[in-house]
Amino acid sequence: MAYLLIVDDDTDFAGAVTTVLRSRGYEVAVETDAEQALERIRRRRPDAVILDVMFPENDTAGFEVARAIRRTCGALPVLLLTAVNQSFPLGFSNKDLDPAWLPAVEFLEKPVDFELLCEKVAGILAGTSKAPAP
Amino acid sequence: MTRSHVASSEFARERGMTTETVTPGWAAYDLPLEEAARSDGAPSAAEPPLYAEADGRLLRQNIAWFCSLRWLVIAALAGLGLAAWAGGDVLAHRGIRVTPAWPLAVAAALGLLNLAYLALARSAARSPRHAARMLQGLWLQILADLVMLTVVVHYLGSLETFAPFMYLFHVVLACIFFPPGRSLLVLLSAMGMYCACILLESAGVVPPGAVLASPLLPGREGTPPTLLACHVGSVVLISGMVWYLASRLAGALRERDRELAATNRRLLAATEERAQHMIRTTHQLKAPFAAIHANTQLLLGGYCGPIPPAAVAVIEQIAARCEMLSREIKAMLQLANLRSHVQHFPGPVPIDLPALIRSCLSNLKPQAAKRGISFAEDLAPASVCGVHDHAVMMVDNVLSNAVSYSRDAQQVSVSCNSKTDGGAVVVVRDRGIGIPAEKLPHIFDDYFRTREAVKHNKASTGLGLAIVRQAALAGKIRVRVESTPAEGTVVSLDFPAAPDAPQKRR
Repeated sequence: MAYLLIVDDDTDFAGAVTTVLRSRGYEVAVETDAEQALERIRRRRPDAVILDVMFPENDTAGFEVARAIRRTCGALPVLLLTAVNQSFPLGFSNKDLDPAWLPAVEFLEKPVDFELLCEKVAGILAGTSKAPAP
Repeated sequence: MTRSHVASSEFARERGMTTETVTPGWAAYDLPLEEAARSDGAPSAAEPPLYAEADGRLLRQNIAWFCSLRWLVIAALAGLGLAAWAGGDVLAHRGIRVTPAWPLAVAAALGLLNLAYLALARSAARSPRHAARMLQGLWLQILADLVMLTVVVHYLGSLETFAPFMYLFHVVLACIFFPPGRSLLVLLSAMGMYCACILLESAGVVPPGAVLASPLLPGREGTPPTLLACHVGSVVLISGMVWYLASRLAGALRERDRELAATNRRLLAATEERAQHMIRTTHQLKAPFAAIHANTQLLLGGYCGPIPPAAVAVIEQIAARCEMLSREIKAMLQLANLRSHVQHFPGPVPIDLPALIRSCLSNLKPQAAKRGISFAEDLAPASVCGVHDHAVMMVDNVLSNAVSYSRDAQQVSVSCNSKTDGGAVVVVRDRGIGIPAEKLPHIFDDYFRTREAVKHNKASTGLGLAIVRQAALAGKIRVRVESTPAEGTVVSLDFPAAPDAPQKRR
């Protein structure tokens, strides 16, 4: 069973996503604090991270977490959830979206279609040998 | 494509509407791209340069203007020289004595100097310290012009004619383009050269020249030194007064410039703050809708157990409203992002237009199918260079409008063709409600919707074409809308070629 970590401060949204993903057979945990997310990943490495971009304390916290994941966890798949089209969301620069700077990241726009979300999750998991999709 | 002409009308021209259309008899409107720089009404961030040297581009423009002005002076001098050469007797008969040599010699010298200035300006423009080099060149021009003018004043008559007042042209121009200290330097140089000319003439080093040979004018011999001093003093005094007045007026204008620039900067900052506030607010609004949308999906997807049909209908209504609001918020965010001056657009990338159109169509097809609307695709291979998301926004909004304003069971056609210059054109045609000709110039305004459009589709945000406009202005993509009420609308997106795109062979 693949283990997924959802990092999103919106518990309503994260709860709904958790319900759907659990129904598809994934093990899911939720972390609402971006700063705690890395610690949680260190404690138990997930097979993929579903990460919101905007957090109350920092508009670009999601990108910072994604970069930290790249630095510390190598090729751990990350699915970034954005509330606007991915190219120029609030306060971000081109560098934030440069594939060289933020490799192996998938984007999904909110509001999320659950079928699309499940497809994306299955896709990023299939791209790793560690945890194939259930 | 056959082009025909709509009956010409002043109305159409006044509103930037074109009289050439793809479809005979339809009104057409080309989105103006000239206002691209500040289409949203935001002022320029840059402070307007107060002095010529503050800005290299302005300095170059001024130098070019001085050079073109100088060609006129050269032409006048050459004309005088040729007139003296061809009709010296006639002029002498009228009391004007001009030897053709000096006007032609001065014209030739000024012509050579002008060519040298232009070459200097061109080489200075390529230099890393171009502003400083061009400023040095400008001072050289001023001094050389003053020397040439002194020669002309000498030959025309430094005391006998009003020629010395020609120095005032230089003084006034210096007051306009330089701060008071430097314009005073120009005045002192001019007056110094004039006094030197008078001194040399009075000392007999050079014989005084005079083109006027009227018996009413006394000769230079025997002029009392006091009268000479009074004459020269008058010229110097008048020039000084003109310098004082012109530099005061120019100073007041510069002060107004400075105030305007400061107001512009404050306005820009306020506009930017408002845009950022709007982005943040709409972003915050979107999050709860994302959660509501997610929860309605949970309920409708049966994740929370069976739900009675009446409850399902209510949840579907909530989901539909939520989706509509999310769409509107997304449109507001896209527009605010496109208009924000602190956001950085991603760099241009190669765009496969047919693939982009197919992707947009696949998102629209479920919605179109519900109303029996089909698509006719004619997508030839075409690749352009631009911001991918801008292209997606433009094509998506145009296609979405075509579906929204089509009548049920109609067809929307979309074509894509590459152009010979390396660009490409996407044309979307619907057979829907159309747009009245007088409304065409307004359809790209925020929240503008015709009465017919509101009646036909209540769910539209009214921001789709405003987004198209902003993206078009950012990418210099020409947009043309042709329409006739009750018959349909054709929207053409003309993507420009990349600057280094290879041209197709004809």
